[in-house]
Amino acid sequence: MSTVMNRATDHLNKQIDNRENRAAKLAGARGSAANTKLLLQNISKVYGDGDTSVKVLDQISLEVKAGEFVAIVGPSGAGKSTFLSIAGALLSPTSGQIWIGDQEISQLPEKKLNQIRLDKIGFVFQSANLIPYLSVIDQLILIGELAGKSRKESHAKAVQLLRELGLGHRLKHYPDSLSGGERQRVSIARAWMNDPEIILADEPTASLDSERGRAVVEMLADEVKQRGKAAVMVTHDHRMLDLCDRIVYIEDGKLSEREM
Amino acid sequence: MFLAIREMKHAKTRYLLISLIMVLIAFLVLFVTGLAQGLSYANASSIQNMKADYLILQQDADHRLNRSMITEDTWKQIQQASSDQQGVELNPLSVKMTSISRVDDTKKIDATFFGIDPEGSLAPVIKEGRLMAAGADHEAVADKTFADKGLKLGDMIEDQASGQQYELVGFTEGQSYSHTPVILMSFKGLEATEAGRPATVGSAAYNAVALSGSKTIADQITNKVQGIEIVNKDTALKGIPGYQEEQGSLLMMIVFLFIIAAFVLAVFFYVITIQKMNQFGVLKAIGAKNSYLARSLVLQVLTLSLVCLAISILLTYGVAMVLPDSMPFQLNTSVVAGCAVLFIVVSLLGSLLSLFRVVKVDAIEAIGRAM
Ligand SMILES: Nc1ncnc2c1ncn2[C@@H]1O[C@H](COP(=O)(O)OP(=O)(O)OP(=O)(O)O)[C@@H](O)[C@H]1O
Ligand SMILES: [Mg+2]
Repeated sequence: MSTVMNRATDHLNKQIDNRENRAAKLAGARGSAANTKLLLQNISKVYGDGDTSVKVLDQISLEVKAGEFVAIVGPSGAGKSTFLSIAGALLSPTSGQIWIGDQEISQLPEKKLNQIRLDKIGFVFQSANLIPYLSVIDQLILIGELAGKSRKESHAKAVQLLRELGLGHRLKHYPDSLSGGERQRVSIARAWMNDPEIILADEPTASLDSERGRAVVEMLADEVKQRGKAAVMVTHDHRMLDLCDRIVYIEDGKLSEREM
Repeated sequence: MFLAIREMKHAKTRYLLISLIMVLIAFLVLFVTGLAQGLSYANASSIQNMKADYLILQQDADHRLNRSMITEDTWKQIQQASSDQQGVELNPLSVKMTSISRVDDTKKIDATFFGIDPEGSLAPVIKEGRLMAAGADHEAVADKTFADKGLKLGDMIEDQASGQQYELVGFTEGQSYSHTPVILMSFKGLEATEAGRPATVGSAAYNAVALSGSKTIADQITNKVQGIEIVNKDTALKGIPGYQEEQGSLLMMIVFLFIIAAFVLAVFFYVITIQKMNQFGVLKAIGAKNSYLARSLVLQVLTLSLVCLAISILLTYGVAMVLPDSMPFQLNTSVVAGCAVLFIVVSLLGSLLSLFRVVKVDAIEAIGRAM
């Protein structure tokens, strides 16, 4: 009796799964048309295995469209960084699909992911992410080097980006002679260097006081709007949230959208 | 390359210091190599310069020229064994280590007597004076280091052991054996030093026979004649008293220097790599490929070792120029090139450990995670 019931529910579940999959694919196909920059479908992440396994993310989905600036908040250890790493092709999910722009990346090998990160994603890390022996301008030119662009082209683009972010007078400085805010601005400029689909930032203001932090986030928000790209930012600082278009809350492995 | 060069420019002191160490090590490698070659020449130039391909020695003589004995009988067999072959030249040779002095002086000088056929191809190239006459049993030609010791043409020298006296009629060069200068004379002249000793039955006529000819001829003689052994000149060199020990210890020093160079570079780049783990994470996160980072590291190692090699080669030749002539030092281009190639290979080997670490860095290191 109960087995029949189980089988029935199994069948039903499968149908639902199939429908969801189709929906997901549709969403993906639609995504590019509707300018979806990032799409995560049913992402789960389990760390470890057996007795010690921890399910950090449980069937999470998120869509970020062009021009959107999304904030991710949640208690420490909730899985924010994990989420961002998966979205940024740095970590592969246990299950689920990821589209960046119109490309599905969850099945790609490590080498391809490298290229995806180089072409489509811009990162702004918490701190200490500039290369200490490169001058401000070289930090940006490096991205062009990695992508095989000409030095001249990279240089022109780097100068323009740095000017936009108010760093025109710091081109030849090394990271150790910059203030914390300036360093983060260089990071942001670097993140834009490859003209990415999406910018991912993990606590970009953690090492700054709130005034400087706010200025940095404002710049990030402006650039997103201007270029029609997207950004996802993990933050602990609730005073930044009014600069974002959407706020997503992570807790107990689940995602929930919060109204502003 | 973008990263490699900028990093070296930025951390100048660090790379200058390591360069200094590498220059010193490379210099030592070259210098000791030059010394080893120089000593080898000073030790045994008579064998190195000998116009022969092989030496025929008595079996079980440990490849030692002065221990080997070739009887008149064996000599005849050797001649017969190769008589059907073209392009063969056989020249018997006798060796006797002794000490001499000038007749009117008591100061003794170590020397080695070589008994040869003055009309054969072992006859020395004369630099001064003339060759001993074929039949003369009291004429001798000496290595020109004797001239540095105050001997002149026409001087009479006396063998300390037998009291036999010889007239110096000529000087040659590049003739040393076991670090003693060689005095060449006819077989008759050398036999005179044995005069007065009881002649044993079948006593040795010669110590060795120098053979010019192909490997096939050498093999043919070995097969036909009992109780002999044919060795090439390298093996014969090792049979010179003290030669192998001397070259062996120098070779050990050179090998150790290479190992030290590998380790110094390995440790240096390893420590730097470990320090940069986080940077490598960031670089990989922003899209740098393993191959790019690996090339960058290899380029740094290559630049460093090439620059250091160039400096140390110049330094070595500079020092060699101011060395006194009496210092045994010899460095030819092919040996320097060999050392240089080996040095670069060793440097690259030293960087393998770091390469391995760089490749293993995970891009995820860049993102802050709850640890
Ligand atoms: N490599 C790992 N292996 C095992 N567990 C991990 C690993 N990385 C993270 N975790 C666990 O996953 C959970 C989520 O980590 P994560 O770094 O994503 O949290 P977070 O939300 O970014 O926290 P914080 O706000 O403190 O930065 C944590 O409980 C952490 O212990
Ligand atoms: Mg985190």
